[in-house]
Amino acid sequence: MRKKFVSGVLGIVVALGLGAVIMLIEGFNPITTYSALFSYSLGGFYPLTTTLRNSVPLILTGLSASIAFASGPVNLGQPGQLLIGALFATVGGLYIHLPAPLMIPLLIILAMIGGALWSGIAALMRRFFSMDEFITTLMLNMIADFFTYWAISYPFFDKTAYSPMTPQIDKAGWLPEFGNFNTNILVMVLVFVAVWFIFTRFTAGYEWRLTGQNSIFARLGGCKIDKNYVTVMLLTGALAGLAGGLVVMAGPHRFLKGLGANYAWDGVMIAMVANNDLIGTLLYGLFFSSLQTGAVGMELITAVPSEFIQVLQSVIVLVIVAGRGMLDIVLDKTQIKRKARERTA
Amino acid sequence: MNIFIGLINGMISGATPILLAALGGTFTYYAGIFNIAMEGMMLGGAFFGVLGSYYFNSWPMGILCAIIGALLMALIFIVFTVFLKTDEFVTGIALNLFAVGATTYMLRQIFNVKGVFSNPGIIPIPHIDIPFIDKIPVLGDILSGQNLMVYVTVVVLLISVFAIYKTRFGLRLRAAGYNSPSLDSSGVRTSTMRIWSLVICGVLCGLAGAFLSLGYVTLFSENMTAGRGWISLAAVILVNGNPWGIALISLVFGFTDGLGLLLQKFLPNQFTSMVPYLATLVSLYFYSIQKRKKSI
Repeated sequence: MRKKFVSGVLGIVVALGLGAVIMLIEGFNPITTYSALFSYSLGGFYPLTTTLRNSVPLILTGLSASIAFASGPVNLGQPGQLLIGALFATVGGLYIHLPAPLMIPLLIILAMIGGALWSGIAALMRRFFSMDEFITTLMLNMIADFFTYWAISYPFFDKTAYSPMTPQIDKAGWLPEFGNFNTNILVMVLVFVAVWFIFTRFTAGYEWRLTGQNSIFARLGGCKIDKNYVTVMLLTGALAGLAGGLVVMAGPHRFLKGLGANYAWDGVMIAMVANNDLIGTLLYGLFFSSLQTGAVGMELITAVPSEFIQVLQSVIVLVIVAGRGMLDIVLDKTQIKRKARERTA
Repeated sequence: MNIFIGLINGMISGATPILLAALGGTFTYYAGIFNIAMEGMMLGGAFFGVLGSYYFNSWPMGILCAIIGALLMALIFIVFTVFLKTDEFVTGIALNLFAVGATTYMLRQIFNVKGVFSNPGIIPIPHIDIPFIDKIPVLGDILSGQNLMVYVTVVVLLISVFAIYKTRFGLRLRAAGYNSPSLDSSGVRTSTMRIWSLVICGVLCGLAGAFLSLGYVTLFSENMTAGRGWISLAAVILVNGNPWGIALISLVFGFTDGLGLLLQKFLPNQFTSMVPYLATLVSLYFYSIQKRKKSI
């Protein structure tokens, strides 16, 4: 745990240093840029709550990727599952009218069903035709992208709008806000705790982790790996779908073109930096969210475009993952040397 | 007849970038690298192609810059996977996202635009008319007058087949993936072979990117590769790296691309754009069924 923390912090520092070098080459002042970045994401109530609100889709898709990767299935379909989940929640919000205490849980469940449906397709293709989910989920992403684009351009198009988008969903389906504090974070925390318990404390989670580490051992030990595979795919799809549903319910309250943004791919990156660790996913999700939230302020104050953050994020991922590997190699080597010395002595 | 010729030509230009990138992927596939960074390399190539063509006002410089751009991406991949021994999967995903971020960032920094950069100053790669052949009816319209890069692709395909199966380099390349300890023990470094395979992959992805931004269309748009790198990867996996098989599959994908354009008269274009991805799923289905039969 301490090693992880050290490599994480070191990696972030090195990556921010590399970012500073790029800024110096481009002729920007790194100190004012970074202080603008973090004051707009962490300095005060308003920035902090915005960071929290923006972290929800990142953490949920990251959680989805972490659980999938740690349990075996290479589910890279979070972008598609997020979009389908968002579409389900939007359509539910447009046609169903209930009081808020019923409406919000209903839309949340609809979003999860949407995501699970989309990952379920990939799971079925794997189960019955042994098609590799690595490729099928990627292709389903593109298909979901075009499908939702069609859905918001024709059947659910808002006739008063100039660009493809749906009308706003029923007000009862909006997540309540207190000042700038959006309750989507509460939903996320609840789901996170539940998933954490299932994954680390229940037999089911134990079996998933076992399968992820060694599927042959797990099968010989009596785990139903085929059934577990489908369960994990459905769960991770539901998590990604939930991320999409919450984006609609907390943010624009409608499905706009480009709604999914880069959330899901960022989530996949977060899972990778966190090495599929759930708590790590939460922390890195918050950190990435603070970068993205601050990017707008950074662009406002300095001349650095907000796209710079996208570059910085992938640099952070590469540096931390590579650094972790290097740290392991260095530690192993020193250990071997010490042992060799003990033997010769 | 015109529709038929149009369909064939659409198939060829749709297949070209996929085939080029997939041939690059074949080299890394044989060298035993799980290379999913083709998408990023292609995107880097496409951007630098536009950059070179625009600043030097010449398409050869565009192609050269595209190759350099893709090689830069390949270099990052080499540094992390070969030297630092980072996980190939993680590096690939991060590199693809890096490519999207970096090209978007540079698009804004260098050209001061968001989304799309198109300008008459970008010189496209020319189409080549072959004398005599272009006089033949029907066949002349297909064989002649294609983009230069299409002919380059055919040459690259032939060279790849020869290099992989008939040369010492190819033998060592395949040994690197098939049994790296025995290659190492015979005095050839596996890591050297892997680096070369990634360099070749970078060059070919650069050509693919150049075709996309200087041949297929003459502009650069954000994330313009649109999953073509992933389709290339699927093509490589589907035929276990056989270059002839890859050529065939690329033509099938190119055909569905052209078919999609044709179907636009009857369906909303969002559905016709799905066709190549659906085709990938269908071919994966047949591949998996066949593989399962063999294993039983």
